[in-house]
Amino acid sequence: MSDVQEAPNQLLDVNLHENWSCIQATESGPRSESEHLQVTIGATVPTGFEQTAADEVREKLGSSCKISKDRGKIYFDISVESLAQVHCLRSVDNLFVVVKEFKDYQFKETKEEVLKDFEELAGKLPWSDPLKVWKINTNFKKKKTKRKKIKQNADSHILDYYENPAIKEEISTLVGDDLASYKDEKDESSKEETQSKMLKFRVTCNRAGEKHCFSSNEAARDFGGAVQDYFKWKADMTNFDVEVLLNIHDSEIVVGIALTEESLHRRNITHFGPTTLRSTLAYGMLRLCAPQPTDIIVDPMCGTGAIPIEGATEWSNCYHIAGDNNPLAVDRAANNISSLLTKSQIKEGEVSWGLPIDAVQWDICNLPLRTGTVDIIVTDMPFGKRMGSKKRNWNLYPACLREMSRVCRPGTGRAALLTQDKKCFIKALSGMGHVWRKVHTVWVNIGGLHAAVYLLKRTPQAFVHPSEQDGERTPW
Amino acid sequence: MKLLTHNLLSSHVRGVGPRGFPLRLQATEVRINPVEFNPDFVARMIPKVEWAALLEAADTLHLVEVPKGPIEGYEHDEKFLRQMHHVLLEVRTGPSLASLATAG
Repeated sequence: MSDVQEAPNQLLDVNLHENWSCIQATESGPRSESEHLQVTIGATVPTGFEQTAADEVREKLGSSCKISKDRGKIYFDISVESLAQVHCLRSVDNLFVVVKEFKDYQFKETKEEVLKDFEELAGKLPWSDPLKVWKINTNFKKKKTKRKKIKQNADSHILDYYENPAIKEEISTLVGDDLASYKDEKDESSKEETQSKMLKFRVTCNRAGEKHCFSSNEAARDFGGAVQDYFKWKADMTNFDVEVLLNIHDSEIVVGIALTEESLHRRNITHFGPTTLRSTLAYGMLRLCAPQPTDIIVDPMCGTGAIPIEGATEWSNCYHIAGDNNPLAVDRAANNISSLLTKSQIKEGEVSWGLPIDAVQWDICNLPLRTGTVDIIVTDMPFGKRMGSKKRNWNLYPACLREMSRVCRPGTGRAALLTQDKKCFIKALSGMGHVWRKVHTVWVNIGGLHAAVYLLKRTPQAFVHPSEQDGERTPW
Repeated sequence: MKLLTHNLLSSHVRGVGPRGFPLRLQATEVRINPVEFNPDFVARMIPKVEWAALLEAADTLHLVEVPKGPIEGYEHDEKFLRQMHHVLLEVRTGPSLASLATAG
């Protein structure tokens, strides 16, 4: 199994909130002037889940969102003090601070004129507040990066915590090291602030629309040139401090500064499998099901366990079970769970073990679960492309839906099922109206494939085993 | 796996037990991992517990201090809840993943 080699290169994207909340408390002094700053934040989210993300923003930040025409983006206003909480959002992939938004930009006729306008634009934008936000954000991130390096080393050694009690010694030492280095970082960064540093930057342009007479490269180049002249920054495509975003969607233009480098979407996973789901997507699917305290939530085809792991971290008052028929997958899921446990142990320093999650090997067509005990089923079904085959799906999907209807609690149970094989799924569902009712469909894009998340409600009808219907025609 | 998980599992292969339940545990390894006590969570799980299976599992694993069934007013009985918390969430059996040993 090559899982062990996968871990160091595939980043354990740090669960940011643990660092942010404690760091924010110490930053009160020099920040007082920018405390009352209000800014607009933009976030990229998995397309199709804009509303779910907006709900999360309203719930956690109290802000209402504007959902952009540009699919996969939402915008909301916050005061700078809430920046730490913004990084705690679990439905967003990337964050940026908005410099300026043009709702209806008037493009001139020729390419030369349009590009000239972009050049002139650079010097006219209200950069100073967004740059303040960027600065605060960068200071936090510097501290986080050092911590992450330590954790990376920790995780590659501590894979199977459950198996080796001797590792307990290692953890307490690491906690000590971690705290010591955190103090060093604080001193370092305050030194850096007093020196004025030459900043490196790049411009990333995303353009969508049929009527534009220029390309994204041209816009990025000319706009970037003007930014460079204005700020005297150095352009660097790979090793940059500031990433300026130029997003053009028809006649809507948004200029922003990126607040995240690596996308947050792989945060909980150290051991990747062939089709690991983005954690942000996993979060969105779970949220669609509105988990209630003590709900039993099952992913019967868990693969690397992305969904139950996201569930256990965000809905820790529910109970999560991850299962798969492939022992390699169950191994990966268990390793990811171990890594998560280790991470939370290092963070808290104290002994706070145990997550409400378990990993089991089983066959989805014959689940060893008691009838009607599962409240929520969330899973990423084999698309039939990288995993399984379309032909196999014709038998698999009906069998899955049937078995899932058996274990799911009648009346209150629900399921969120992701698949790209929509035709097969709808056909399989059509014979199941007595147990499953489709209430919502979210169209999503998975690695270029047009997939759907189907939200199903379990009807109140109790499950009847086919053989108990002697003499009757089976309903399906 | 935790005993709460074991309790939710069954085999509905015909012929295994009266309702294909419970699954036999193998007492190869038992470990105790401390888990933060959440009385509310435990209290709400009690109605979902299949007691016969739980008691049999506890017996196989030689656990002590396992309540025989829900007692009157268990929602407010901290001692009872702590015992159940320990049994359901802190006791772990077998290697970290289980391929289930189905009865028979």
